[in-house]
Amino acid sequence: MYGWIWRHLPGNAWVRALISLVLVLAVVYVLFQYIFPWAEPLLPFNDVTVDGQ
Amino acid sequence: MAATTDHEEEAEQKAPSPPPRRGRIATAVSVFGELLITAGVLLGLFVVYSLWWTNVMADRAADKQGDKVRDHWADNAGPGALDTKDGIGFLHVPAMNKGEVLVEKGTTSKVLNDGVAGYYTDPVKATLPTSGKDGNFSLAAHRDGHGAKFHNIDKISKGDPIVFETKDNWYVYKVFSILPETSKYNVDVIGQVPKESGVKKAGKYITLTTCTPVYTSRYRYVVWGELERVEKVDSERTLPKELR
Repeated sequence: MYGWIWRHLPGNAWVRALISLVLVLAVVYVLFQYIFPWAEPLLPFNDVTVDGQ
Repeated sequence: MAATTDHEEEAEQKAPSPPPRRGRIATAVSVFGELLITAGVLLGLFVVYSLWWTNVMADRAADKQGDKVRDHWADNAGPGALDTKDGIGFLHVPAMNKGEVLVEKGTTSKVLNDGVAGYYTDPVKATLPTSGKDGNFSLAAHRDGHGAKFHNIDKISKGDPIVFETKDNWYVYKVFSILPETSKYNVDVIGQVPKESGVKKAGKYITLTTCTPVYTSRYRYVVWGELERVEKVDSERTLPKELR
């Protein structure tokens, strides 16, 4: 999977490493900005109130 | 056959550049392994997100909103201008060592995720100390992540002060009862007369609720206090002696 991505990136090893880094950062950004905030309320870690339901 | 596959796998792990042709099974195993690694990294990132990043964001939001409330007080919008949207005051609990905690209306995650404490509007409506009536000023805040304002709730012991600061008054409460673990369905703890704390008649109470044990939401931790006195805020906003 990751090998496939690596082989399909253009340029030499340095350019590929740089692009990989940018890709990783983009993925982390999307996760922190959109995916995790969406997933968090669905998980039972952060309910602090008492309620009757 | 199986043994051969195992050998191929090991060889692959040692040499990162794979041979041009691989068996189908070897490819499947390698993709499966990468997926597992990815899942592990994702979970790790989620921990970083919930225990660190949400605190960064929440503290930023709380500081901003807190400054707004202070500015608003300084501008003096006239008497009776209770702005519930930006927060009604600040909670000071020296035992929790978290500084001042802004108090806003509501206990939805949208409110609490900004690193503030919220007063209950549901299932039992909190009685605000500013109303002067008997009742229970019930509050909730996060134990972990999103500012973790009540993280150190277990450091509070009986007799410790809880001070609520509004524009005009310091409301000084004294902790008289603690319930380290209760069901999340136990709404009686935020009742106007919280019987489980040992009180029987109406009075001016404060209730702090959060989740316990840390990093989970299995139970609720409850701390009760009773109003001891109300001090007028002077022109220098001198702290009451409990906070000095």
